[in-house]
Amino acid sequence: MKKRRKKTHRAVPPFDLTPMIDVVLQLIIFFLFTSQFGELVRTEIDLPEEPGETTPTEEGPDLTIDIDSSGNYLIASEVMTLTEVEALARAEIAAIGEAVSVEVLIRPDRNIPARHLNELTQSLAGLGIRQASIGTVAPAVPRTSGGGG
Amino acid sequence: MRIPSGRPKRLGALPMTSMIDVVFLLLIFFLVTSNFAAPENRVDTALRAEGRATQAEELQPQIVEVRLAPSGNAVFTLGENTVGSREALAQLLRQLPPEGGVIVRGSDSVPVQAVADAMQAAIDAGFDRRSYSPGSP
Repeated sequence: MKKRRKKTHRAVPPFDLTPMIDVVLQLIIFFLFTSQFGELVRTEIDLPEEPGETTPTEEGPDLTIDIDSSGNYLIASEVMTLTEVEALARAEIAAIGEAVSVEVLIRPDRNIPARHLNELTQSLAGLGIRQASIGTVAPAVPRTSGGGG
Repeated sequence: MRIPSGRPKRLGALPMTSMIDVVFLLLIFFLVTSNFAAPENRVDTALRAEGRATQAEELQPQIVEVRLAPSGNAVFTLGENTVGSREALAQLLRQLPPEGGVIVRGSDSVPVQAVADAMQAAIDAGFDRRSYSPGSP
C-alpha cells in the first residue's frame, strides 16, 4: 500500500531585494557615467584667467570652438580649418533658423596671439553670428596686474 | 506565563559582503558624479566685423584698443589714456557712462589674455553692452 504522503504547505522563498538593488544602482551609475561623456570631450586648453561674468548663464552654447596653443581650431577635439569651422557654423545656423540666435563659445589658449581669435570672430561675424563668449578660468590667485604681455 | 530567561539573544554575524557592495557603489557614484576639471567661466560679448561702421546711436560706445607697446607688454588705450593693467582700465571705464557700451579692439599681435583682460575690465566697470572687434594688425 502506497503510503500517503503528508501534504506539506511549501513556503514561498522570501524575495531577495539585494541583487535587485545592486542591479538598479549599477544601471543608475551607468546612465550617470554615459551622460558625463559630453563633458569629458572638453579639450584641455590653457584658458585666459578671468573671473568672468557675475551672472552665469544657464544655457549652454550652440557651438564650442577651441583654439589650442598652436593656433589650431578644434571642435569636439577635432582639428579643423577655418573653412570647416565656417561650414559647421552654417549648419548650426540652418538648424537654429537665424544666425543672430546662435551662441558660440570660444575657448582660446591665453598665450596665443589674438590674430587667431580675430580671424575666427571675423568669420563668425561675416556669417551673421553676433553672440559669442570667451571661455575663461578663475585665477587661482587673484591677479593684481593685467596686460597679459 | 513564560518567564524570559535573562540570557541575551546572540546577534547574527554582520553581513560584510552587502556592506562592502554598498560602500563600493557609493564610492563609484561619487567618483563619477564629481567633476575634477576646474570650473570654467565665460566673458560674453557681441561680435562686430572689422571696419564695420557703427550705427548712429544716442550714446557712442567707448572704444578700447588693445595693442602691444614697444616694451612688448600689452597696453589698453581708451581715448587719450593708455594704461597697462586691467584694474587701471576698469577705473578709467568707471568714469564713463556705461549705457553706450564698449567695443574692445584687439590687435593681431597681443596675447588673448590681454583681450580677455579688457573684456573683464568692462564687466568690472559695469558695461553690460560689450562688443569685440578685430583691431589693427
